[in-house]
Amino acid sequence: MKLARIMVLTCGVVLAVSGAVPLLKRILADTKPAVQLTVQNAQPREVEDVTQKAILRDYTAAWQAISTALENNTLQPLNENFSGFALDKLTQRVKDQKQNGLSTRIIDRGHKVEAIFYSPDGAAIELKDTANIETQVLDGGTVIHSDQAQIHYYAVMTGAEDRWKVRVLESAAQ
Amino acid sequence: MRTLIFILLVLAVCWFAADCARAAELHVPDNAVAGQPLTINAAGSGTLYLIGPGQMIKREFKSGSVDIKGEELRSAGRWIAIVKGDHQSQVFWVKPGKPANLSFLARPSRVPVARPNVISGVTFVFDKYQNMVIDSTPVSFKLSVGDAGSTKTVTSHAGVAWINSASAAKAGAAQFVASVGDTTVRRVVQQVAADPCKLQMHVAGRSGDRVTVETDPIRDCSGNPVPDGTIVTFIQTDKNGKSTVDARIKKDIARAELPASDNATITVAAGVVLGNELHVGGR
Repeated sequence: MKLARIMVLTCGVVLAVSGAVPLLKRILADTKPAVQLTVQNAQPREVEDVTQKAILRDYTAAWQAISTALENNTLQPLNENFSGFALDKLTQRVKDQKQNGLSTRIIDRGHKVEAIFYSPDGAAIELKDTANIETQVLDGGTVIHSDQAQIHYYAVMTGAEDRWKVRVLESAAQ
Repeated sequence: MRTLIFILLVLAVCWFAADCARAAELHVPDNAVAGQPLTINAAGSGTLYLIGPGQMIKREFKSGSVDIKGEELRSAGRWIAIVKGDHQSQVFWVKPGKPANLSFLARPSRVPVARPNVISGVTFVFDKYQNMVIDSTPVSFKLSVGDAGSTKTVTSHAGVAWINSASAAKAGAAQFVASVGDTTVRRVVQQVAADPCKLQMHVAGRSGDRVTVETDPIRDCSGNPVPDGTIVTFIQTDKNGKSTVDARIKKDIARAELPASDNATITVAAGVVLGNELHVGGR
């Protein structure tokens, strides 16, 4: 009788954990990544406080959009936060993933971002980002690749109608 | 205890050997370049996925090498090669190709002559497939009006090169050209005359109860004619009060008709520049 109780309890715990883990992962995926931005070394123009706040907000949103788009193979988050070459490339990546039944889960462990260029007319800013990212590639629900790495990104953002959008996003080996 | 250590050691060696063997099964060269062919060695058979920043490539393969054409490998950055079903994967990097495209922002589009650091040129350097070329690249900027001009070469840093330049002393459509290798992008910056340097007027004629005043040809301090359409204000003050006429420059000269007065003072101004003063009298 006691053994049966333990068995039932164990099954219950396993069931709860198996339900909670994907839920927790989804919650973590939807959480905004931690982004630290420094602008002291931006050239040739000094970054204004308002611009700094806007860049921080919109670059964070852009990474959240990448995570959502690549995990769910949806384009809408990309359209809101990207333009130009970056949008073209990420759109193609999502389409290719969808066509092949794959998806990518990005577990974002934070970004240290430095503004390295701010154009004289204030229309474009270039960021250097050192990101800690865990990448999981999924085939259906099965993880077929997983790695965690510190990756350097270069991003160019330009002012759009109501926000800054990422126009170029490129990773580089360093 | 000895047996246990021995077993653990054997396990560790086996694990290491298996790891080495697995690594040897999938080999991607570490010098891949966007737009150039790539050969990947893979043992066994199956499906190879190459997942890049802006694309995915899928290949069915049998033991040996997998060839990727140059035009297929378009995205620079961090890629992942995965053999499906075999739990083999490898991260590799693709570098951007040679500079082939420039994104050139020239500001402003219209600028007064002879002003220091008023024209800015910003260039982002890209390869054929719109990957930003992060490596330092010399970018040449040339700003010229007619035969006169200046050239400056700037080395790009993290894909961007920029200059600030003075506007030339001569008015006209300045050609602002940025070039990398054979790639050239041209912008036009209209350089217009600055404020008038000297404003001089005289009485040009009288007819009935009207007096006509006109300026000498109006030029800036570099000798460029101030553009037609620029407003010049003539103000006449006499015992009846003040009469003001805003006239536009036409063919370098501004002209105004004012009511004739027994004793009047006429002044002229354009923007922040004041001209001479005339005293006129007698009908």
